[in-house]
Amino acid sequence: MAQTIGIDPVTRIEGHLAVRLRIESNQVMEAYCSGEMFRGFELILKNRDPMDAQQITQRICGVCPVSHGIASTLAQEAAYKVIPPRNGKLLRNLILGANYIQSHLIHFYHLSALDFIDIKAVTQYNGKDPALSELKAWVQSQLSSNSLYPVAPFLPRYESQYAEDPELNITAVKHYLDALEMRRLAHEMGALFAGKLPHVATLVPGGVTERVTPRKIAAYGEMLQKLRVFVDNAYLEDVLAVAQAFPEYFQAGKGCGNFLSYGAFSEAEGNTDHFLPTGVIIGDGPSRSFNPSGITEDVTFSWYKAAAVLNPATGVTAPVDPGQKESAYSWLKAPRYEGQVMEVGPLARILIAYKQNSGRHHQVKTLVDGVLKKLGAKAENLVSVLGRHATRAIECKLVADRCAEWLAELKPDEPAVTAVAIPEEASGVGLTEASRGALGHWIQIKNRKIANYQCVVPTTWNCSPRDASGKPGAVEQALVGTRIKNPENPIEATRVIRSFDPCIACAVH
Amino acid sequence: MLNITRREFLKAASKLALLMGLGTGAAPRIVDALEKLASSNPPVLWLQGQSCSGCSISLLNTEYPGPLQLLTRYIALMAHQTLSTATGATFMDVIEKSINRGGYILVVEGAMPVGLPNACRVGHETITEQVARAARSAQAVIAVGACASFGGIPAAENNPTGAVSVPDFLKQKAIATGLIRVPGCPAHPDWIVGTIVHKLKFGNPELDDLGRPKMFYSRLLHDQCPRFAEYEREHFATSFGENGCLFYLGCQGPVTHADCTVRLWNSGANTCINANAPCIGCAREGFAKDASFPFYLTPASSGRGGK
Repeated sequence: MAQTIGIDPVTRIEGHLAVRLRIESNQVMEAYCSGEMFRGFELILKNRDPMDAQQITQRICGVCPVSHGIASTLAQEAAYKVIPPRNGKLLRNLILGANYIQSHLIHFYHLSALDFIDIKAVTQYNGKDPALSELKAWVQSQLSSNSLYPVAPFLPRYESQYAEDPELNITAVKHYLDALEMRRLAHEMGALFAGKLPHVATLVPGGVTERVTPRKIAAYGEMLQKLRVFVDNAYLEDVLAVAQAFPEYFQAGKGCGNFLSYGAFSEAEGNTDHFLPTGVIIGDGPSRSFNPSGITEDVTFSWYKAAAVLNPATGVTAPVDPGQKESAYSWLKAPRYEGQVMEVGPLARILIAYKQNSGRHHQVKTLVDGVLKKLGAKAENLVSVLGRHATRAIECKLVADRCAEWLAELKPDEPAVTAVAIPEEASGVGLTEASRGALGHWIQIKNRKIANYQCVVPTTWNCSPRDASGKPGAVEQALVGTRIKNPENPIEATRVIRSFDPCIACAVH
Repeated sequence: MLNITRREFLKAASKLALLMGLGTGAAPRIVDALEKLASSNPPVLWLQGQSCSGCSISLLNTEYPGPLQLLTRYIALMAHQTLSTATGATFMDVIEKSINRGGYILVVEGAMPVGLPNACRVGHETITEQVARAARSAQAVIAVGACASFGGIPAAENNPTGAVSVPDFLKQKAIATGLIRVPGCPAHPDWIVGTIVHKLKFGNPELDDLGRPKMFYSRLLHDQCPRFAEYEREHFATSFGENGCLFYLGCQGPVTHADCTVRLWNSGANTCINANAPCIGCAREGFAKDASFPFYLTPASSGRGGK
């Protein structure tokens, strides 16, 4: 018996995503992801001063503005042929690192965990923790009130199977509360050098405007220490506990099996030698090198005027009203790498590091193998809903730990920014990794103004619609095969979708 | 869940009044108190138009009250796309029933694509239709952030969606619900929380002629700038990373009404100008709108409007 169900909107992600599923005998046969919000950043950027770009493009996304700011400054630096001083490079890594921690924490605790954890379990709490006791009293009074929706925004929810272990539930709820403070702290830490967050003030082509002072180094260090304790003792442990309670999600949500990373947190001069590596994995193959010219975007099923499949260096954005192109179903374009659908994000980065297993990436293999051993899982199980959560937590630890080393390298009172000159005509590509995956900006400058600007963003890859050949995008593929116990409450599908940490404001822009 | 009628309330209150030795005359006051407890905090409905969720993330950076205290002690956040556990049809039920009941504060984050309404849809409905319906039965509308307040980047020159601010949109629709603007890209958490709490506990805050709470937006940034003395002494930074007044790097403090320099961002960690970054005017009405008015003035940049 076939039926079609819609999940519109998919909440607890960034932005406006609608998903349509064709289900037969409780199994997803086909999935369609629709990005439902378009602003036209690439058109708005045209004819502006190129140095507006790192400020404008940060506003593509309030969750990962830092990555857009960095991609834009990298694209401009390639066009202006400048390299920031060492302090500038380190400060960028420290600001980006702070936002990675913020983003990964909010994703697990505040966006995803409520798919697994039973928040109502807090009513069974008998301990003395003040925050949990207050939450318990509030939930109880809400449940016995005449509110239209008691315990909003935590209820209502899909009524389904949530975790049953009271200890897991209570611990996770406690950490949900703690993580509210921890993610705020991560932003405070980043703001020491960013000026403010979200939307960094200090990122400019040539470096970072904020100066390095011993007080700021000490403040960042103390905040980082608190965050590292939380990541090690709460985040990693909670992900393991959820994985043990829902082992079937090591089998669910596999997806396309191809992975792409541009590399982030460059440690050498220029945008090279990335702490999170660059690479491409196709199927069971090894990690091989990545070439930006292999990227194309297709708009067959997107609400844009029909166009050739183009590399973003010469990309075009020509929107049409959805009513005028009924064959299409999304504001996302369909990016492909050498014609292939790719998954991007922490899973891609960690798998690439794991397969490269060279130099600094040895520690990735050690960490991942340790986690797999604890869970009794195999490396191939990583390509799954739980694998995405686990690799995100592992990456959070790797980045937080590395921030301490970048911090130690800062040189007070040495410059963090160098002057730039905008040429009459130039072009540049800025490639980095946002917390949710591969991010690229392409800029073309004519008469010292922006002539063309294109962004290919993590969720453009992951939530991509079909392409001209009919190949579904990464999330669309991951949803196929998902068992939906009750089509009225398709929580299993939302668990798959959220494991990718979608950001639709980014994806469409 | 208990569904208590006013009649049952009166009965319970009378019993309680007697129990407390107050006599039946005290019942009405106890009814008020019990109803307050039972119906909990005033409802808030948060809708997102053409936004980046940056104002929602900024809201979560609120320090005192923290985000949890805000949700449990001050407001009843009925629906929020980034935070609600409810998804899909369950989420839309919450929106529908909330709109039917009315009386909430409607917060809108993001611009309204009136030129291309299909550029933003939630639950098969254009955001413009949804915001119009929700605004009609709201007790007040708060436009949070640059996009909702003034149109912001979605409404900048060359935009393809005909985006406008929430106040302009409501005016077009002749919806007269009271409105407050809380601009900023993003809006500072204190500006959002301070405005909501003022509205709920003390009534409408005093507003300026653009509908902004005077308590946050009455003064120019420049007049409250820690580098004002540098400006007076004509000690100007001429390239990024330098000390001094940032005026000649393009600082828009002299045309921006906001209190960032005294309030500071991220629990006091920093603020743009203190970090040697010129103010880009993210709280001002014309933020980012004019393509020929660049954020930065440097020897390398193309200057403002060719002047």
